[in-house]
Amino acid sequence: MRYPTIDRPGRKRRDFGLVAGLCAVSLLLANLGEVGRLTVLRGLRATVLAPVLAVHRGYERGTGLARQVEELTAERDSLARQVAAAADLAEENHRLRALVGLPERLAETFVTGEITPGAAGDVGPHTFLFRTSSDVRLTVPAGVRSPKGLVGVLRARRAGSALGEFWTHPDFRVAARVSEGDATGIVRPFRVEAGESLMLLEGAPFQAEIPAGTRVVTSGIGGVHAPGIPVGTILREGESRSGWSRSYVIRPAVQPGYARVGLAWIPEPLDGPPVAPPEPEGGP
Amino acid sequence: MNGDRAVSAWTGLAAGLLVTIHFLLYPVWAGLAVGPNLLVGGLLLAALHLRAGHAGLLGFLLGLLEAGMTLDGLGSATLVLTLAGYGAARARDLLFADARFYAFVYLLAGTWVTDLALRATGSGDSSFAHAAGAAFVSALLTAAVAGAVEAVARSAALSRSG
Repeated sequence: MRYPTIDRPGRKRRDFGLVAGLCAVSLLLANLGEVGRLTVLRGLRATVLAPVLAVHRGYERGTGLARQVEELTAERDSLARQVAAAADLAEENHRLRALVGLPERLAETFVTGEITPGAAGDVGPHTFLFRTSSDVRLTVPAGVRSPKGLVGVLRARRAGSALGEFWTHPDFRVAARVSEGDATGIVRPFRVEAGESLMLLEGAPFQAEIPAGTRVVTSGIGGVHAPGIPVGTILREGESRSGWSRSYVIRPAVQPGYARVGLAWIPEPLDGPPVAPPEPEGGP
Repeated sequence: MNGDRAVSAWTGLAAGLLVTIHFLLYPVWAGLAVGPNLLVGGLLLAALHLRAGHAGLLGFLLGLLEAGMTLDGLGSATLVLTLAGYGAARARDLLFADARFYAFVYLLAGTWVTDLALRATGSGDSSFAHAAGAAFVSALLTAAVAGAVEAVARSAALSRSG
């Protein structure tokens, strides 16, 4: 016999009991909260999976070094231009605030961290680990952005790491507005037939026709994401149109899996009062 | 060491090798649209020579590792792989295991069902038809790789045990 029967009848009940117990433990694990999940995952990655992850990091370093240098150089050049422009803007902002008697603008605080994407499914990863060496205490939920735009949201934190969801996660939602005009709405992930992962802006006012190419940014409502973070650009009007609102398909600014460094927003400055989200633009 | 024990030991080694390759080459699989699921292949191979309870326990442990790797499906992966290990070990007893292509059919069907269950319980958002198609291609590749590894392990074991 090629595969001999090695189960004795007396053992079958014990085996069944063991498997039933394991199934019960699995159900408990499936219903763990976000913090419990993060604890278990961190424990696994720090112990039994550590050698495998070290091999992966070595492989990534070896293969992606040249590409990373190229990307970092481009990013540094772009940042240098932005910093130069920002100095003029800051000076202008300072003078205008002084003219109308407004207090100084409060600085926003971001915590930098390394993003480790989870499993790449059909449309890319949904979850990620966010590791930071900073001592700053992260609060959750907290929006995460990269220099290019919106990445996702942190759901649970423990010590220096947090578990986050990319914007591709089915539960992800963010309040957004168009950069020019006063149309606002809620952005959620949207998958087209070709399997491409895009976004859908829902709840835009019916009378506001948004042209293709318009930039969409976060509105800051809800206090999870900082206002003004690029979400993406309008591709076309969506098919779903309900009552007095329209929907628009958005090409995202950041594709999950490509962002390796993220900035988690801390709404409260480290040494000051909470930052109030700004009023939407376009008001009187 | 008699022939059956040698085959079991070599198949166990082969299963361990498949699981190790699965985790070591994880970035490679992540970049492919569809690839072999060597984790399930290794589990099914090991289940051919393990008690049903032990195969379930092995599935549970592999599910934990998989969830740690993917950051997703903690609980669902352990549940699916526990049941897959247990079911595979039971199937070995219930089905006719002397058939010539038993190992290939067993690996193909086992990987297809398990892969589909993993996709269904994960946070993937593809349609059932798409998931079933992708799982079938993955199962074919898995059955080919794991079947070949099993055949090599078996012949190595038999040649060593005389």
